[in-house]
Amino acid sequence: MPTISNISAVINIKNLTKSYKNEQVLKSLNWQVNQGDIIGLLGKNGAGKSTLIKSLLNISDIDSGTVTIFEEEHLNLSAQTKGKIGYVPQENDEISWLSVNDLIKFRKQFYHQWSDEKVSELTHRWDINTKKTIAELSPGQVQRVLIILALAPMPELLIFDEPAAALDPAARREFLKEIVTLANTENITIVFSTHIVSDLERVANKVAILEQGKICYFEDLDATKENVVQLTIRHCDEVNIDVPNLLRCKKHNQGQSCVVSQVDQNWLIKMQSQGIDITVTPMGLEDIFLELTQ
Amino acid sequence: MDQFTISPSSGVPIYKQLFSQIERMVLNGYFTVGDHLPSVRQVAINLEVNPMTVSKAYGLLEERGYLTRLRGKGMVVAQRDEAVSEQEKFKVLNKMISDLLTQAQQMGVNEQEVIALVTASASKNTMKSNKSKE
Repeated sequence: MPTISNISAVINIKNLTKSYKNEQVLKSLNWQVNQGDIIGLLGKNGAGKSTLIKSLLNISDIDSGTVTIFEEEHLNLSAQTKGKIGYVPQENDEISWLSVNDLIKFRKQFYHQWSDEKVSELTHRWDINTKKTIAELSPGQVQRVLIILALAPMPELLIFDEPAAALDPAARREFLKEIVTLANTENITIVFSTHIVSDLERVANKVAILEQGKICYFEDLDATKENVVQLTIRHCDEVNIDVPNLLRCKKHNQGQSCVVSQVDQNWLIKMQSQGIDITVTPMGLEDIFLELTQ
Repeated sequence: MDQFTISPSSGVPIYKQLFSQIERMVLNGYFTVGDHLPSVRQVAINLEVNPMTVSKAYGLLEERGYLTRLRGKGMVVAQRDEAVSEQEKFKVLNKMISDLLTQAQQMGVNEQEVIALVTASASKNTMKSNKSKE
C-alpha cells in the first residue's frame, strides 16, 4: 500500500479490529482518506463494507484501534464536526410514520447549516411527495429522501453505504449526476461502498478493496486501469515464461495469458528484443476487481 | 456541447479517452486555433464524470501544447508548429497502424496481405472521390 502523508487526512483509521460473534470481520485495518478524495469501496458481499462504515462512524462499537475524523477521536466528535458529516445508510432507520416534511424539519434542528434550497431542488427534481409518510414511499424514493437528508446540511464528508442499491438505472444515473455536481464543489470528500463497479468508474478517483478484514488494495483509479493489465504472450515453449508482478497465468497451446499488477517495462523490452510476441490489453474495473480478490 | 463521448467501463482510463478524442479533434481541424473548449465543470456534468478526470485530460493537452489557458476564458486551442502537428498526426496514425497489424496477426493475416488490403481500400477511396468530382 502506498504511504500517504498525514497532512489532509479526513479519516484516519489505525489497526481497527471488529468482531461479530467471536469472528473477526475487520482485522487490524489501516486506512486513510484524504480531503477531496472520492473513493469507491469495493468488496464481495459479506466482506464487511457496512461494518467498516458503521465502525468508523461509531454506529457500531469497535474492539480495538483508533479512528479519527477531521482529526478528532471518533468516539468524541464535537457537534460542529458531526455537522460536517453526511451519511446515507443502506437500510432505512428513519421514523416511518413521519411525513417527509416533518422528517426534514426534525433533522434540520440538529445542524448549524442547512440548505432549504437544496432540499427543495432535490424533492422537486426527484418527484418526491413530501406530504407522504416514509412508510408510504417506494424503496427507491426512501433512498432518495435519505440522500437529501444527508446532503441538506452541506457536509464536508459524505459516506454512502450502497447508495444505489434500491434505485433503478435511471434513478442511479440521477444520483451519479448529483455526486458529480458535488464533486465540483470544493471541500468535499466522498466515500461510497458499492458493488456496482460502473458507477464507481465514473465518479471515483480512488478505489479501495476490502478483503479478508483488511484494505488489501487502495490506489488511484486511473493508475489501476493503467497498471493492472492483461498480457498475451505468444510462444511455442512447453515451459511458461516467468512474468514479473504476476497475478494469474493461464497456459494455452499458443503461449500464455497473464494478468499482472504492473508491467515491468524493462522485462517487456527484454522479451520483445528476444523476439517474443507480447500484447498488452487494458482491463475494465470489474475484471480487475475479480483478479485482485481471487 | 455533446461532442465528447466516453466509456466508463473501458480499460482505458476516462482522462485518456478524453485526451485522445480532443487531440484528434484538434489534429483533424474540428477545433481550430482560438476555439474555446467548454469548462471542466460543464464537461464533467455533461459526461457525468469526476471533474478531476476532465481536469487531468485538459492538463495533459495543455502540457502537450494542444491547449493553452487564457485568463478569463479558460482553455483555448493553441497555435502549433506545422511540423509538430504533422509529427503528431503520424504518431496517432502509427498507433492505429500498430493496432491494425496486431489484430491482423491475431487473425493469421500476414503483413503483405494487410498492405494489399490497405492499397485496395485506398484506391477505392480515390475512385469514389474522383467520381464525386465528375
